[in-house]
Amino acid sequence: MALVHTQNLSFAYPGKEKKTLDNVSLTIEKGEYVVLCGRSGSGKTTLLRHLKSVLTPNGRRSGGVCFDGRPLSDLNAGEQARRIGFVMQSTEDQLVTDEVWHELAFGLESLGMDENTMRLRVAEMASFFGMEGWFHRNVGELSGGQKQLLNLASILAMEPELLILDEPASQLDPIAAGNFLDTVRRVHQELGTTVIITEHRLEDIFPAADRVIVMEDGHIAAQGSPTAVSEALWRGRMPMFSALPTPIRAFWQAEGGGKPPLTVREGHRWLREAFPDRPEVAALPENVSRFSETDAAVCVRDIWFRYGRNAPDVLKGVTLTIPRGCLYAMVGGNGTGKSTLLKTLCGVCTPYRGRVQLFGRSLRHIPKGELYRGCVSMLPQDPRELFAHQTLREELEEMGADAERIRDIAALCRVEALLDAHPYDLSGGEQQRGALAKVLLTGPKLLLLDEPTKGMDSTFKAEFAALLRELTRRGTTVVLVSHDIEFCAEYADLVGMLFDGGLLTQDIPRRFFSRNSFYTTAAGRMSRGVFQNAVTAADVALLYMENKGGQE
Amino acid sequence: MERDVFSRCHPLTGFVYFFCAICFCAVVRHPMYLAAGFLAGLFYFLLLHGEAGMKKLPGMVPFLLVVAALNPVLNPRGETVLFTLFGRPYTLEALVYGVVLAGMLGTMLVWFGCFSTVLTGEKIVYLFAPIAPALSLVLVMTMRLIPSFQRKLARLAGARRCIGFGLEEQTRWRGKLRCGAALLASLTDWALEGSIITADAMRARGYGTGKRTHYRAYRLSARDGMLLGLTLGLSTAAVTFGGMQAEFLPSVSMERPGWGLAVYCLLLALPVLAWGKEELQWRWCIRRI
Repeated sequence: MALVHTQNLSFAYPGKEKKTLDNVSLTIEKGEYVVLCGRSGSGKTTLLRHLKSVLTPNGRRSGGVCFDGRPLSDLNAGEQARRIGFVMQSTEDQLVTDEVWHELAFGLESLGMDENTMRLRVAEMASFFGMEGWFHRNVGELSGGQKQLLNLASILAMEPELLILDEPASQLDPIAAGNFLDTVRRVHQELGTTVIITEHRLEDIFPAADRVIVMEDGHIAAQGSPTAVSEALWRGRMPMFSALPTPIRAFWQAEGGGKPPLTVREGHRWLREAFPDRPEVAALPENVSRFSETDAAVCVRDIWFRYGRNAPDVLKGVTLTIPRGCLYAMVGGNGTGKSTLLKTLCGVCTPYRGRVQLFGRSLRHIPKGELYRGCVSMLPQDPRELFAHQTLREELEEMGADAERIRDIAALCRVEALLDAHPYDLSGGEQQRGALAKVLLTGPKLLLLDEPTKGMDSTFKAEFAALLRELTRRGTTVVLVSHDIEFCAEYADLVGMLFDGGLLTQDIPRRFFSRNSFYTTAAGRMSRGVFQNAVTAADVALLYMENKGGQE
Repeated sequence: MERDVFSRCHPLTGFVYFFCAICFCAVVRHPMYLAAGFLAGLFYFLLLHGEAGMKKLPGMVPFLLVVAALNPVLNPRGETVLFTLFGRPYTLEALVYGVVLAGMLGTMLVWFGCFSTVLTGEKIVYLFAPIAPALSLVLVMTMRLIPSFQRKLARLAGARRCIGFGLEEQTRWRGKLRCGAALLASLTDWALEGSIITADAMRARGYGTGKRTHYRAYRLSARDGMLLGLTLGLSTAAVTFGGMQAEFLPSVSMERPGWGLAVYCLLLALPVLAWGKEELQWRWCIRRI
């Protein structure tokens, strides 16, 4: 039986000609787990917000939405609040109150529930999510992952029949994101709640989906089982193909036979069955590093750093050389000191032992005024932290560059068309480009990026990588820290791994990721024991085709 | 805080207790009562704050000394003139009165220090939630926002520093002013954006659909009843027994304290005694194991 049904739903924002939703007809059955995917700006969020009246945006609309056989508008606000749960992207701003127990109770209090029921519901949720340990904590002390779990729990306390999640894990690191998405799956399986979820990282949710719906330019471009959708995306050469999990991408790109693999395990089996014996060509040629060790942009020797006199050491003797003009990616788990290392490179944190040299000069001897003008600059994790003005043009003019240079940089970052918009009205990717333009106007020789791919969709990642490539070609050295090892494997020139405050190893991505067996890309894990150094889906497909072509 | 009895009680119990204790400390000028109040408060303060408390206390001593020494300068009344200052008499009685005033101030400071540790902001808001639900929600939200603004401001300052707009790097005051203003604008934008999401999240969870109920995280227990009874009983007894009158100007005279002082000591030592009782109970339990 259908829980949600939209009939020819079209919608345009006020003052916009283009329809954000174009004739969307969609039925979601009770108990389904539906993954909604699409590029940024394809209308996913707008569609989801139409499924709950209080969140529905204003604009021109035609067509209707039914919930449980009744028009959505017939359900009053209280009923909608109870039966339809909505979890948004922001971990911090969705929290209303200051303590965990109060947050869990907030929705129930609003619905005017009596105290005994409320007490039971709150206790149930706290035990389901294992929150007993932090039930009385202040929400400010929680980690991002815990905050988002709390947001989910406080919605589930109202026992909704439909749970809508709009990119819930995009602000979390991969481990917290995986944990959160597992919990959502558990909610679906153990409570039978109907789930509609959108997410850029499809690895964790795609294989388990009952149905996948792909949106493109406001209409539904494909829907069906994960395998069927992946085939449709491949055959139709649709941009969303690049967002699919690695195993299935490798499968279609290799044009191989067998059952399409959705997970790494299935991918591994697929390769094993295709090559029962050792394949003839097991390795791709390794191009040696084209950078000279002598011309270093960054030279760090044995630095030690801690945040307070009695605080533990965060950096414990890091020694590191980054050649000029390379795209350097620093990977590593949470709390290994990645971000701190970036801060020491731009002089925000000063190590208490060891030395940092930028372009052959000691960081300490570079005057502050010179340091941030033409030497080093950092793009923070949240690009909005750099915005302070009403339009993007004013943001760029704040940097004090002449009009011609602003035009150049705006063209490079492809933000010319956005100059008159308010920075907060831009999409995530556009904000990232705008902030990057602002950072580039300081003319840095060394550009530092903190988790630049967080919350980016796969198409934009490719564009962003091309932009970074262009910068390195012009001679800028780019250092980024990231959890996104797929991105690092595909685009970086050198990858370094930080662990326990020290640099473990540093190499070109192909060698780096093929040597690791756990901390490596999905392609690396699925091709282990079959191919030697395939680290991206394209590598796997290439080796597969070379070997199969040789056999025939 | 975990071992303090009042911290673990219903906020009402703590609130009533501190209300009584602080009222007494604000009114009573009798030096013996004052000393009792100060010592009890000091002991409680040190129990609550441990070593960190030791470091906080010496800071108020110079301030209290100034208060004590300054009173005779402002108030020339009193019979025993010690010396004259700027042509005005500096009297012993006024000095004694100054010491008493300083003692009252010190006592209040110590007790308020305990109060703010035991009854955190959340507990006070919780206490008033049934009376003013809307106001208490606003307070709860504000209490969350202030630290989150502080954290965000630090992040924004760090981010802007790395593109050359750090406050530290600006040498001229105009530059500093411009950077500060931009930082504030940035924080405002961020806060407004956040508040829209918070408003959405509130409405999505049914805020404003009807009359709100109130989740009670604390319950009044028998122990709360006992502590409340003791607090109110001892307070009434202390007032009834009296003996806390004292005059300093123009001459020093005070009542002889009787049973009143004993009851008063008992009242103000209640948290320390309760703490001690639990401590003994633990020792006893452990010995039996």
